[in-house]
Amino acid sequence: MKQKNSRIRTILTLLLFFPCILIAQTSLSGKITDKSGMSVPFVNVVEKGTTNGTTTNMDGDFTLAVPNLPTTLVFSSLGFETQEYNAVNGSSITLTMAESAQALEEVVITGLATSVKRSNSANAVSQVSAEELTGTTANQTLDGALQGKIAGALVTKSSGAPGGGISIRLRGVTSINGNSQPLYIVDGVYVNNSSIAGAGLNFISGAAAGGNASSQDNPSNRIADLNPDDIESIEILKGASAAAIYGSRGAAGVVIITTKKGKAGKTKITFKQDVGFNSIINYRGVRDFNFDRAESLGEGNGQLYLNALNEGRLVDYEREIFGEKGFINNTAVSVSGGKEGTLYYAAFTNNEEDGIVKNTGYNKKTIRLNIDHKFLDDRAKVSINSNYVNSVGDRGFFNNDNTGTTIGVALTSTVPWAILQPDENGVYPNNQFAASNPLQTRDLITNRETVNRFTVGGSLEYDIFKYDNSSLKAILNGGVDFFSLQTRAIFPKELQFQDQRNDPTNLNGVSAIGDSNNKDANYAAFLVHNISTDNNINFTSQAGVTKQTFSQSTERIIASDLIGSEFNIDQGANVNVNQVRFEQEDFGFFVQEEINYQDKLIGTLGVRGDKSSNNGDANEFFFFPKGSLAINLNKFGFWNDNSAVNRFKLRAAYGEAGNFAPNGALFTGYINSLIGGNVGIVVPGTLGDPTIQPERQKEFETGVDAGFFNNRIGLEVTYYIKTVEDLVLQANNEPSSGFPFRFANAGELQNKGIEATLNVAVVESDNFTYDTSVLFFRNRSEITRLDVDPFNTGGFGTGLGTFRIEEGQSVTQIVGRDVDGDGGTVKIGDAEPDFQLSWSNNLRYKNLTLAFLWHWKKGGDNINLSNLLFDFGGVTGDYDDFTLDPSGELANGPYRLDRFGAGDARPFVEDASYIRLREIGLYYNFSDTILRTAFGGYVSNIKVGASANNLINIFDYNSYDPEVSNFGSNGLSTGVEVTPFPSSKRIMFSLAVDF
Amino acid sequence: MKKYNRYLIVAISILFFASCEVEEGANLNGASTSSISTDLSRGELINASAGVFAAMRTQLTLQTDTQSVIGREYWRFQASEPRYTADLLTANLDSNTFYTTNPYTARYANIKNINLILEGLANSTADFSDAEAASTRGVMNTIKAHELLMVSNQMFQNGMRINVVDEDNLGPFVSYDEALAAISSLLADASNDLNAAAGTTIPFTVILGNDAFSTPSGFATFTSAIRARVEAYRGNYGEVSNALNNSFLNIGGDLTNGAYHVFSLTGADIPNGLAVGINTTSGNARVAHPSFVQDILPGDTRISKVGARDESITLDNLTGNFGMNIYISNIDPVAIIRNEELVLLSAEANYQTNPVAAVAAIDAVRTAAGLTPYTGATDPASLLNEILFQKRYSLFGEGGHRWIDLRRFGRLDQLPLDRAGDQVAMMFPIPENENQ
Repeated sequence: MKQKNSRIRTILTLLLFFPCILIAQTSLSGKITDKSGMSVPFVNVVEKGTTNGTTTNMDGDFTLAVPNLPTTLVFSSLGFETQEYNAVNGSSITLTMAESAQALEEVVITGLATSVKRSNSANAVSQVSAEELTGTTANQTLDGALQGKIAGALVTKSSGAPGGGISIRLRGVTSINGNSQPLYIVDGVYVNNSSIAGAGLNFISGAAAGGNASSQDNPSNRIADLNPDDIESIEILKGASAAAIYGSRGAAGVVIITTKKGKAGKTKITFKQDVGFNSIINYRGVRDFNFDRAESLGEGNGQLYLNALNEGRLVDYEREIFGEKGFINNTAVSVSGGKEGTLYYAAFTNNEEDGIVKNTGYNKKTIRLNIDHKFLDDRAKVSINSNYVNSVGDRGFFNNDNTGTTIGVALTSTVPWAILQPDENGVYPNNQFAASNPLQTRDLITNRETVNRFTVGGSLEYDIFKYDNSSLKAILNGGVDFFSLQTRAIFPKELQFQDQRNDPTNLNGVSAIGDSNNKDANYAAFLVHNISTDNNINFTSQAGVTKQTFSQSTERIIASDLIGSEFNIDQGANVNVNQVRFEQEDFGFFVQEEINYQDKLIGTLGVRGDKSSNNGDANEFFFFPKGSLAINLNKFGFWNDNSAVNRFKLRAAYGEAGNFAPNGALFTGYINSLIGGNVGIVVPGTLGDPTIQPERQKEFETGVDAGFFNNRIGLEVTYYIKTVEDLVLQANNEPSSGFPFRFANAGELQNKGIEATLNVAVVESDNFTYDTSVLFFRNRSEITRLDVDPFNTGGFGTGLGTFRIEEGQSVTQIVGRDVDGDGGTVKIGDAEPDFQLSWSNNLRYKNLTLAFLWHWKKGGDNINLSNLLFDFGGVTGDYDDFTLDPSGELANGPYRLDRFGAGDARPFVEDASYIRLREIGLYYNFSDTILRTAFGGYVSNIKVGASANNLINIFDYNSYDPEVSNFGSNGLSTGVEVTPFPSSKRIMFSLAVDF
Repeated sequence: MKKYNRYLIVAISILFFASCEVEEGANLNGASTSSISTDLSRGELINASAGVFAAMRTQLTLQTDTQSVIGREYWRFQASEPRYTADLLTANLDSNTFYTTNPYTARYANIKNINLILEGLANSTADFSDAEAASTRGVMNTIKAHELLMVSNQMFQNGMRINVVDEDNLGPFVSYDEALAAISSLLADASNDLNAAAGTTIPFTVILGNDAFSTPSGFATFTSAIRARVEAYRGNYGEVSNALNNSFLNIGGDLTNGAYHVFSLTGADIPNGLAVGINTTSGNARVAHPSFVQDILPGDTRISKVGARDESITLDNLTGNFGMNIYISNIDPVAIIRNEELVLLSAEANYQTNPVAAVAAIDAVRTAAGLTPYTGATDPASLLNEILFQKRYSLFGEGGHRWIDLRRFGRLDQLPLDRAGDQVAMMFPIPENENQ
């Protein structure tokens, strides 16, 4: 837009100065390139202090006639630092434009089809550039790469299992039983981020049998499929005030991802190779045994311990299982370029990463092709973005179970003198101390997720008319996200917990396949009208319609009692089949008016209307209004050009957005049963409500953005308050009604918080630059109204600590039984962090760059049940220490057991604060002269370096990592730990070559 | 003018799209409950009744485990679920934890299954004959009574709800005695319905692991057997005798004859969760309480209900040497009520008034167990001791009979306590979500 306007302006000015050109014959010409030597088209070239100017052509060349020499030319272009050049004679000018550090912060999306300059935005929209995302180090998944980079986001990894499983909460908990994960939109395509539990694991572990029906299989979430290297920028709309334009899907926030596009000019080829390894962050440690302690685990164990000690056979099984160094190998190749209105970007990546447990790992291959083409005299533009992903994750067998079979739970009672290694024939002995032999489980089982995903989006933009002061543009876009997820679980019959010689009720081998097919499609059409008045008021109007369809079908087949060593699902005596389907259709419209008065006052009003088949009345419209105002005080002339303050904006925004009731909340549907060959139907656990309404979030945010000393210091402070009304609760119901739960719109919650960002360019010189930035944010939540009785959710009951929804209390409070009082519930913790702070630093000395990111999460509690399970097995590392019991009488293990026996959950609630060196990278860029000498111009850039993730981790939490979630990524209950897959740190060496 | 035309086009196109109809959503994953309750068809009755028999087994394992553990019949060891050896043995029972809520909820869910059928039957436009309708009511009310009795076993004097037809307007909590009276009367109604339907066919399959119950009059013997148990709990021994007369009691007959829950590993069917190997580790084990072996009479063949472990097993300061051995495979059926219990109920019905009949019944059980006939005193107190002793071994591990029986005779203090601080719970608390 900006470029087109300036071209028009350029033409006008050229016409205006035509007589002058006839008089003054001095013509300046030259070529503009970027630092890699690529030509830069569309650079504005203006003679300083005049309106005389031009733009560079596709090859970066320009010619400009000037009346007099010497003169100063000003070169500016979106994405580059503005430069001045003093022309003293008519010789050809060659200039290298430096990419702007804030290049990607220039515009902010404010409408479904429009964006505004960031300096005019009324919302605090976080942006993450490609450099910030992947420039320091390569993360395994996209959401992992966002940790510590977004003010207002709590990003939690569920486990260290390869292949992801991450929750992102923007500005607190926004839903209790509905979706609380943001909406992801990649190049206009709604992409699916489901976590789909596979088949078979729960069948073996029985994790959900004991009481909590949530998924404890720890599936990965599907945003992990995106390749971070393909991403140009990410914008995060953190609440309804910015996300109202996304209507009924915007309440949990929206993550808008733009992938890389080709740039006109020479074909650019980049090649990137990382190799490295990962290793466990922290061992829990094993109890320091002696004869008496061993004997206390059962008669005879003391002697077994001594024998093993004397024969040097004591094994630290924790290190045996988690002590591997996983090999990391990432390769990325991209080719981009284009000319004459056609641009392309093509990329291929291969990421391979082994886990810290043998036979676990992750392999992802992605192919991307983005094409943009302009036609009809540049009035029309068509874009196609396509992406294919194939990923395979081997995730091991961890987390909670009720059968003692996961590797994690087996370790809780396995002692160092247990004999678990296979004999010379490969036969594993039974573990006498647990229901399974964790070495055997690790070596023989398969738990694999395979994804094949194809995402394609297209858009067509057409300038219906375009005059000096008005324009009308039509935009059509659409996209499809299709994936098939296959989960494969194989538990061979030799396993201790499958072998019927150990227990005749063992299943004798289990083979399971889960197939999930997902197709999401979205279509939209918009008109955008722009008009400027004579006194420089600009009106941007837009209106459009949207339609989305979603369909998902998951089939799970579990075969048990297998034939020989066969694993096909027809090779079993018993087959169990299950299918879950989901379909939804949404339709919406959107209108918005934006008024910009000389960049001084920028106001926006808009409304979105949505209807959906997932509402009680599918054809009832729900309306989501928004309004905002930004005031750029620095444009009013209060400060002169030399003032320390060069930017000062006050802003306020209000918006509403919705969140659908969970799939099925409208219905009370029978579940199938089978007995004696007779198929039957039984009532479900939850009573549906056909009148259910979507949740409605109302958010108000206000803030100040300021720049000092020519923006060398930037400060952004935001306060928000958001209320979620009509909370859809799967609330407790009197179980004697036959339905222990019922869906109802029955409450309201509120989040309030502040976010502050400070950027400082500390040193700016030719040889040395130092930029630093600090993010600080905190959130407080409260259930402000609850129409149903308080209820527990996402835990294992009050005796072990549980989350509890209660009016007047924090949404994320953790309660236990009030053992000192009346035996009711009492608050014993809160998962909400006191605050988070991250500090990123970029230092460059000549060709050497160092970047690092510290991330401090202060406060926020976990429910750590791993300790208790290890205590039951008598093998906890701190079992014999005296640090917990206030009276000093009991050692930690017996103390926790004693408290457990008393129903006191307090010892299991632990502070999950951490300080991490999230990312660090040190790189060297070879200078142009070396490259020219060595490669004769074929190579434009070579970068080598080393980097690491989570290299330093400081926490007082008594397990592998305070960042953990037994119940996966959705919902309230992150932070419950039951013997997870430990998380790892990663160290990598990288080489990047640009041709 | 041109400009206004364009706005008009925009406005019209928005209105056009806004009028797009979105199809109403549907539940794609199962029939809705209202499809049964508003009008029950023959086909639906067949599916809905199969669901009722299937759902009788839901949480059966947990209810059996909890009541057996409290009654010190066996210990449940599960490495990842410590509360089996904590709360259940210390009597520190939580009103909102799985061992309280899950069995309770499952029983009422099945009562909802039944109530939806009874409602649908009343509203049915299908061609059910009066006899078919009566037999359906008889079977469903019998099972409903059984489910209510299971709840009353859990709640005991805390009381319970009986009328739960309308989920938005539940009936009151009534006392234990009132609950048993209501259950008894429900069984009486069921018997009347079944008798009225005698000679006809039940319009669905009765799935109790025994073909003898598949006709209205055959099923009535099961109804009466349950009634005998209820009346014994109420102490109405005359009614016990009457009910036993109409039941499938056969003193001297096969003691295992009776009604069973059946299991399989096929499809959506479920396995018998009570089956577990003798030698499993503390990760997942059912360990016979040591007193079972210590107290057993020499030569009692019921010793086979436990198996000696290769090695002793210890968890949470509890050590045992015998694993449970009642169910060998995970598709073995689990008894609902069987002849052995009826024989002992007949002994109980007679111990105060007819010692000879009581001893005859006792001896039927003793003989079957390889023991010599009873030679002890025949005063009521001695006979009661003997009946309870035999019942402990005859119904060992079959649903918590020992706890229930000792409780109704005020003898819970006779149960052995294994660790300092252990206590015997009298009953489960009312689930917190009942808001009582």
